[in-house]
Amino acid sequence: MAYLLNILMTNKKNIITINQIFFKIKNKKIFENLSLSFSSNGITVILGPNGSGKTILTKLILGLQKIDKGEIKIANKKNIKFGYTPQKTILLRRNVFENIAFPLAMDGCNKNEIFERVNLYLKKFDIDKFKKNSARKLSGGLAQFISFVRSVIIEPDILILDEPFSNLDANLKNKIENYLINHRLKRKIILVTHDLFQAQRLADEIILMDKGSMVSKSINKKLINSKNVKVKAFLNRNYL
Amino acid sequence: MEIIIKAFELIFTFDKDLYEIIFLSLKVSTIALLFSIIIGLPVSALVATNNFFGKKIIKILFNSLMALPPVFVGLILYVVFSKSGPLGFFEILYTPAIMIVAQIVIILPIIISINIENLESLYREYEDLFKIFNAKKINKIIIILWDARFSMLTCVLAGLGRALSEVGAIIIVGGNIIHYTRVMTTTIALETSRGNLTLAMSLGIILIFIALILNSLALIVNGLSSKYSYD
Repeated sequence: MAYLLNILMTNKKNIITINQIFFKIKNKKIFENLSLSFSSNGITVILGPNGSGKTILTKLILGLQKIDKGEIKIANKKNIKFGYTPQKTILLRRNVFENIAFPLAMDGCNKNEIFERVNLYLKKFDIDKFKKNSARKLSGGLAQFISFVRSVIIEPDILILDEPFSNLDANLKNKIENYLINHRLKRKIILVTHDLFQAQRLADEIILMDKGSMVSKSINKKLINSKNVKVKAFLNRNYL
Repeated sequence: MEIIIKAFELIFTFDKDLYEIIFLSLKVSTIALLFSIIIGLPVSALVATNNFFGKKIIKILFNSLMALPPVFVGLILYVVFSKSGPLGFFEILYTPAIMIVAQIVIILPIIISINIENLESLYREYEDLFKIFNAKKINKIIIILWDARFSMLTCVLAGLGRALSEVGAIIIVGGNIIHYTRVMTTTIALETSRGNLTLAMSLGIILIFIALILNSLALIVNGLSSKYSYD
């Protein structure tokens, strides 16, 4: 199954192409001549230790920060919808319902559509009982989960999740993992994590990053048995 | 002590002249505050939600204007609106209208400066969300104005307090004309210099009472904020 999925993925056109990008923050070089691409569906996990540039890479893809040189091409950019669950949860000073409704309101949906869709998602993820609670007063895990639900409610073409599991309990973690598995063929999912086991559980492909460089990009199953010296050294240093 | 008792007598016997002065003060300050809100809130939201060349200069300018001496504001308005001045044709010198203008000039920078700080910090928090979900400019402004409503209310109350306690500018442009432009602060200044301390003291007591009400309101707003602001 995974093999077929990988063939399906590699046959698809790239939805994101990163071409020789350079990026620095306050004279500290983060990326130097980095190039990589993402197919239009499937789960790509970006794996790497803290400070390897994973979060910044997602922010550059989303256009939240500007590259110094190079280009990031998003296919059919005008019609592409992004969903994003940031590492540091950002919630509006509003209740849970209004927070989840936010992307729909910005997308120009009418009140009835918003009401129906938000209620559907609240029930689907079993968070209906929190809908009138102040989102910013929720526990860290639940707040992060609300942020995830908000990022998927618009059914994005590209869903970027930056360590979305860091504060979650097993129940919420499972809900997200199930969602990702069920939607891997419908959209591009980029998941940032430093958890190797989770990466192996979910990923169709894994990108290893270290100190702003891509160490390797490989199909999930091949990673752990890789004979590539750099990959072996990376895994030994960080995970094994 | 005798002065204070007589002052309370004036207040509780609803002395006509005293209450005329109080109502004119409240009217002038409230109208000035309303205009300052109508102008100040959108301006502060626009500055807070946009990055443009000269933004820092604008912020420095409004911060500096907060410290503008009211007497100087009065002097400038007097020159501008006097018969030979560039806006003399309005013929509003020594009328309540120019007193409103003076108070707007004094409290507008306060409302704009404090609100820019409030709204900017909220905007920085929301900025990534706005970008990812393609929020339109008007939506950004509406969202941050609404979500910062409680902190803005505290700032607006501070503006009202500043307007009510102002004396330097309005005594110059209003002229302190009895039954026409005489307000609480200008009356206190005049009656103290005349030695009529009873009237001055009654107005002083009313001003303290208003200050207490405004501070209580600010506290209530803070309480409501923690209950209803979802923050």
